[in-house]
This record gives sequence, C-alpha cells and structure tokens, in this order.
Amino acid sequence: MSVIEELAREFGRLPGVGPKTAQRLVYHLLKSSPDDGRRLAGAIREAMERIRPCGRCGNFAEAELCDVCASGRRDEDVVCVVEEAFEVAAVERTGSYRGLYHVLGGHLSPLDGIGPDELNVAQLLERVRAPESRIRELILATSAGVEGEATAVYLEGLFRPLGLRVTRLARGIPVGSDLEYVDGSTLAEALSGRREM
Amino acid sequence: MRLSELSLRHFRNLGVQDLQIPEEGLALVGENAHGKSNLLEAIYYLETLRSFRGARDDQLVAFGQDVFRIVGTMEDARGSDATLRVAAAFQRAGRRKKVTLSGDEPPRLGDALGHLGAVIFSPADIAVVNDGPSERRRFLDIVLSLNTDGYLEALQRYRHVLAQRNAALRENRGQSMVRIWDRHLVEFGARVVEGRRRWLRDRGPLFSRYYAEVSGGPAATLEYRPGFALEGATDGEEVETALCRALEASSSREFRTGTTVVGPHRDEVRFYLEGERELDVREFGSGGQRRTVALALRLAEAATIREVRGREPVILLDDVFAELDAGRSERILDLMEREETGQVILTAPKESDVRFRSDALPRWHIRCGQIEA
Repeated sequence: MSVIEELAREFGRLPGVGPKTAQRLVYHLLKSSPDDGRRLAGAIREAMERIRPCGRCGNFAEAELCDVCASGRRDEDVVCVVEEAFEVAAVERTGSYRGLYHVLGGHLSPLDGIGPDELNVAQLLERVRAPESRIRELILATSAGVEGEATAVYLEGLFRPLGLRVTRLARGIPVGSDLEYVDGSTLAEALSGRREM
Repeated sequence: MRLSELSLRHFRNLGVQDLQIPEEGLALVGENAHGKSNLLEAIYYLETLRSFRGARDDQLVAFGQDVFRIVGTMEDARGSDATLRVAAAFQRAGRRKKVTLSGDEPPRLGDALGHLGAVIFSPADIAVVNDGPSERRRFLDIVLSLNTDGYLEALQRYRHVLAQRNAALRENRGQSMVRIWDRHLVEFGARVVEGRRRWLRDRGPLFSRYYAEVSGGPAATLEYRPGFALEGATDGEEVETALCRALEASSSREFRTGTTVVGPHRDEVRFYLEGERELDVREFGSGGQRRTVALALRLAEAATIREVRGREPVILLDDVFAELDAGRSERILDLMEREETGQVILTAPKESDVRFRSDALPRWHIRCGQIEA
C-alpha cells in the first residue's frame, strides 16, 4: 500500500469521513506547506501522548487530575454524572454549573455486553464512600434514550440508599423553539414535567 | 389521496416506465409471472416503505442494477391543488434507503409513511388467519402505525427495550439488572396495548358486519387476547399497573427461560364464527371462511383510513377473486361498490376476471414487465 493510500485509510477511519473526503484531506495536505502537515502530526502526537483519563472523574486530563478536579474552586458537594468525557465540555459551556463530574464511559447495554463492570461505576462508589468525601448530590445526566434512562435508574438504586440526593436532568422543549416543531414524545415529557409558575 | 403519476426505475422487472394513472384507477391484465403484483408492490411501497410481500429491499432491485427508485405523485381526491410527491429509492451497495416528500427528506423515516392512504388485498392475506400469532400482531402493527399517532414510535421503543431486557435476563446478573428496564418496557408496552385494544374494540363491530355481508351468512367476531392479564384495566395507567404486576408475577419463569414472557409481544387475536356454539375460525373454519376473515380485516383497515384521514383509501386488489367462490366474490364486489371507494387498482390474469366496476375501469396490459395503457 502506498503512503498516500495509507494516510487516506487512516483519515477514512475517523467518524463522518468517507473515502472521498479522506482523499480530499490527503491531497489538501500534500498541496499545502510541509510545515502544516508536521504541525498537524505534532498536535495529534501531543494529544495522544499527553491526554489521559482523570484519575478521579474520568474526564480528559493532561495531568493526574483534570482541570475541574484540580481547580479547588469547585463545589465539591455535587457530582454531575455523564456518559462520555466530551459531555463534560457541553455542561461546562453552560457556565451555570460549579460542581464536579464523573464520566461513566458509556451506558448500560446488555445487548452489547456492557454492564456496570464495564463502566466507571465502582470508581464513583469509591469517591462517594471515601472518608474525605463531601458529595451530597448526584445529578444524573445520562442520555435521554432507553439505555441512558435505565443506567440512571440503576445508579439511583445504587446511590440513594447511601443517603445521597439523586436528581435527573429535566427534559423538555429546547429554548427558543416553537411548540409545533417539537416532537410528540418530548412535548409529552415537557407536559408531565411542567412547573408551577 | 389518489395516485396520478407513477415513475418506476429498476423496481423488480418493471424497468424504466412513467405512467399516468387514471383518476378512477385501472385493471391490469396479464399472465402470471409477468409482473402484475410487482406494480402493486411498487405502489404500496410508497405507503409503507417496504414490500408487502415481505421481500428485502435488495431483492426489489432489478437484476444487474444497483438502485431502484419509485416516485408517486399524489393528488387530493377532492380536487384541491395540493399535490405530494413521494420518492423512495434504495441502493444495493451500502444498503441505503432514501425517501423524500416533495423533494425534502423527512426528519424520520416514519414521517414518510402512510401518505397515499392505500389498502392492499392479496391472496397472501390468508396468512393472517392461518399462520402464527405474529402474523396477526403484524397486521395490527401496520394498520396502527399508519393510522395512529405515536404508535410506531411506541412499538419501536418497546421492541428495543424488550431486546435489552431479554439480554439482561440471559446475562443472569440478578433481578435489579433486569428491573431497571421495566419503566420503559411498561410505558411503551402499555401504549402498544392501548392502541391495539382500542382498534379491535372500535373496529370489531364493523369487522363482524363485513364478514356477514361477504359470507352471506352468520357473522364472525374478533377477540383481543393480550399477552398478560389486563385485570379489567380501562386506561393507559391501569394497563401499566397490570403489566407491572404481570412482570413481577412471572419473574421466576423469566429467569428460567431467559426471556420476558409477558407483554404485548405475546398478544393474540382470535376469530370466532357466530352460531349456536362459537367456533374458532383457525381451528374449525373452512378455506372460504378463513379468506373471508382476511378480507373483512382489510375492509376494516380501509374503513380506518376513511375515518382517520377523512378521505377515500386507494384500493389495491391483487388477483383476490381467484380463490373465492362466485357468491362471495359477487358480495364483496357489491360491498366495495357501496362503500365509497376511491381509486381502485386491480390485477387479474384474464380479461374475464375483471369484474370490478367492469365498464368503468380502463384496461391496461402487462407483458414481461412492460405496461401498456
């Protein structure tokens, strides 16, 4: 296999990149200055070598602890439980959450052979039970699908008996959207979760 | 709606054809194995996005071709200007299906279902009586998916949770790992049950009437046998409670068999002949009685479209009179003429078999897939 083909094959393994796009990317790199390509290669190498899971919460980290866990200025009473590390960034972007995180690494899915042992559940239990723990609330921010919901039910059953407050992200109408474009089940969810004004 | 134009590209043996469909419909005459049913299959594909004969999409692509494409232009029968163009295409390489509604891809494939409002009558319908309970659930699921908001979504989600729950049972990691799936199983299961029960209750009397009219004798009734004890539940919430109870009660059996043993995936529908003693059609019915049950179900489906969508269904008849005796054929023709049917597209092997609106329906002929108006 030629070097060009090999590079195209590697690009093609990325999500959302088909064979044609992969080829376009290769040709683009070959046409641009060699420095561009080296910078890209360097950035990839750097990221792969330096990013690792945070030793406490599983978020992306460049050191033993991620920025959130290392900050010291976060509210340590509350932990937001997400499925994937990139979801931490989504919650962070809201700018309205000051607590800590825990990354499960997926959701329960017996069809795919994923049970609690395949997720970072034991680590969360350890965090909660640690003598220095100040955790009083878990916010379950697992996905809104069938698996995310079952994972939340599972975690609730595990952590509520430990005396923790366990909450679930509310579901409903996206901010700024018209009712007529909201799909039926979301609207039903929003109706049943309506609030007193 | 009625179909005004149909454009075919490499669907089965139909090749490349652009057809103008007459307002009242047509009778397609041709020898067997020349492609009569393929035309009805293509038309009904626009309704359900799958073959009514149970063929896989890749089997529908013509030999030596990679893509089939069907485009149907539909007009409101009441003569408003609104037309809808439903286009469905499938590519064998990559197994890709693409559907557009007047050029736009709908957010979900499910949104593209049921725009024509058609009912297909076929000799294969007899399977709904003769075969196992899954055929009867399939009939209900198709009718309800096309005519009841939210049913298809509930059904798909129910199946998905059920698969996860069954996998959890097989893993055998204890009760708690199975129970976490129950909330959604019960929620979506109850919606499926409610949909099926309501349809069978509302359409049951109509089914009986149609059966009696076609058979020219006593009526038949249908009965819903849910896959768990409903315990007199009358609304969605009570159905949920009943399903919860049934799951709890069957827990030890579930772990023994490694599968969920109660729920709508075990639903059954029974048909009974009325008389001095009620007789189960599946056990005691004659061939003619079974066919009549299947016909009456389709007629009830047509009535559903008429009521839910407020317009005449397009009736597709695939050589249905071949296996009915003369009396039944006459009576069903009478019945269809009386119910305000809209467009009718029927197939028959011989001219003399075309008895429906015999003077009014234009005759088309088909030979080796080529259709001539």
